[in-house]
Amino acid sequence: MILSGKGLFSARVLENRAISPSTHLIVMIRPDGFPEAQPGQFVSIRITGAGAPLLRRPYSICDLTGEALTLLVKIVGVGSAAIAGTRPDEMIDLLGPLGNETFPDPVGEDAVFVAGGAGLAPIVFAIRRWTREGTIGRSVLLHGAECRDELLGDVTGGGPTEFRCATIDGSEGHHGDVVTLCEQLLDAGRIPTDLLYSCGPRGMVKALVERVDGRFAAHYTSLEAIMACGVGACRGCTVPVATESGAVMKAVCSDGTVFRAREIAWDEWKD
Amino acid sequence: MTRELELRIGNVIFQNPVFLASGPAGYGAEYAELIDLGRLGGVVTKTVTFEPRPGNPGRRLWETPSGLLNSVGLENVGSKRFFAEKIPPLIDNGVKPVVSLGAEDWDQYRRMIEITASVEAVDAVELNLSCPNVERGGMTIGTDPDLLYEYVRHARDVLAGTAIFAKLTPNVADIASIALAAEEAGADGITAINTVVGMDIDTVDGEPIFDRVRAGLSGPAIMPVALEAVWRIARTVDIPVMGVGGISSVGDARKFFMAGASAVQVGTAIFYDPALPGHIVDALERDGVPEPCPGMREAEE
Repeated sequence: MILSGKGLFSARVLENRAISPSTHLIVMIRPDGFPEAQPGQFVSIRITGAGAPLLRRPYSICDLTGEALTLLVKIVGVGSAAIAGTRPDEMIDLLGPLGNETFPDPVGEDAVFVAGGAGLAPIVFAIRRWTREGTIGRSVLLHGAECRDELLGDVTGGGPTEFRCATIDGSEGHHGDVVTLCEQLLDAGRIPTDLLYSCGPRGMVKALVERVDGRFAAHYTSLEAIMACGVGACRGCTVPVATESGAVMKAVCSDGTVFRAREIAWDEWKD
Repeated sequence: MTRELELRIGNVIFQNPVFLASGPAGYGAEYAELIDLGRLGGVVTKTVTFEPRPGNPGRRLWETPSGLLNSVGLENVGSKRFFAEKIPPLIDNGVKPVVSLGAEDWDQYRRMIEITASVEAVDAVELNLSCPNVERGGMTIGTDPDLLYEYVRHARDVLAGTAIFAKLTPNVADIASIALAAEEAGADGITAINTVVGMDIDTVDGEPIFDRVRAGLSGPAIMPVALEAVWRIARTVDIPVMGVGGISSVGDARKFFMAGASAVQVGTAIFYDPALPGHIVDALERDGVPEPCPGMREAEE
């Protein structure tokens, strides 16, 4: 599937709020003509005129309504820090919506969502969109973070039927990683097994594939990668995907961001 | 003082001297929604090799201060799919392709030239004899004037009537002598420069950033290197020079013309500013193409 309509837009910041010590929620006025987007699509933000940082930074769309475009920006370096530092009424230069493969609509089925850290963004978009449209049955969101302060649960409004969290340090929710929480809930028969949607650190998604993937009918994951073009031209953000004729390199930006998690050749995907 | 916009290379006419560089723009179509490709002089397509290449495993991109290291490794769909699927949409949409040809060895190169000769719609090529990210071919050819001569000579003999640009690596002691070898072998133009070889290290895990250790540096960081190379080449050869390397503004493009380039290519900058190539065309249409700086040719090296 190729989604068209991407373009360059200038979006005015409406609100910028730190929702954890490392992560900002940035709400922009949806620019005129900004196309409809699907969960799993992203925008790429320009930081400076030229120089450092050079490249745009990709962010999953956390929500898109008629009026607003929302992103979650986790500060990991100078680029993300600059974006997180934008103030209300400042303009953000963005390219999007990008990505051609998105989270497939559950068409009424129940679904489990596993989100690690700011990987919550496309998950929240999916849950809100499908809940609004009534195309999802029961939705269970499992959110993992290092500690209580880094949980981003307060962006999940209008969201899942059920929300549980896991923290590595045990300061809130399940003490441990979110994959183990998912495993325990499956063992107890307390979550549905129709569909699994995930987004988060590579290690988390890989662990999901190794430990729980087979217990769901399907598992779709939105991948993250360092990107340059965002449109499939530069072939910089490739991931090895298993096919009948062996592993082929697919671009996270244009062949994804969403992939069937079990098709990723995880052991060959070096970073 | 200014020149006309049109660029003539033998019988081949480009409407203006602004091109997309090989690599960043892929096969062109990927950027069709963001850049008005038909307004440009041409699009140098991502390097194609006779057989498809999966490209390099592991990390392929790493940002540096004002630069970008890449180790994509000439991932491409191979000549068969390239000419069947990638060229027709460009031609149909009024975009002038300059086909970047790569080779892993002499045999693959000959076959690549042969298949290119059979495609009537293609009348301009750029020989990528200088990619740092492949095991064989690539940069080795571009650093040896005798070997480069043989490769360009063969293309000249087979591709009669085709405009041939030889793309050179800056990773040599004397780029002007390499350019001279390309000219003597019958190249119609020189493209300078390819990426500058570089590397980076992850100090946390103590490993190089790239599996192949070395990678190609592009972006504003290399512009002074590119400008100097273009200046030296332009005063050495009589064929046109296509300047490329770190152009990030209209002013940067002007500098290349002033250094002696007849055309410019924009590469890495389109990642963050897809509007730049169009802005350069606008500026040239408005103000003309700048003449080389007075005194430039006389300066001592």
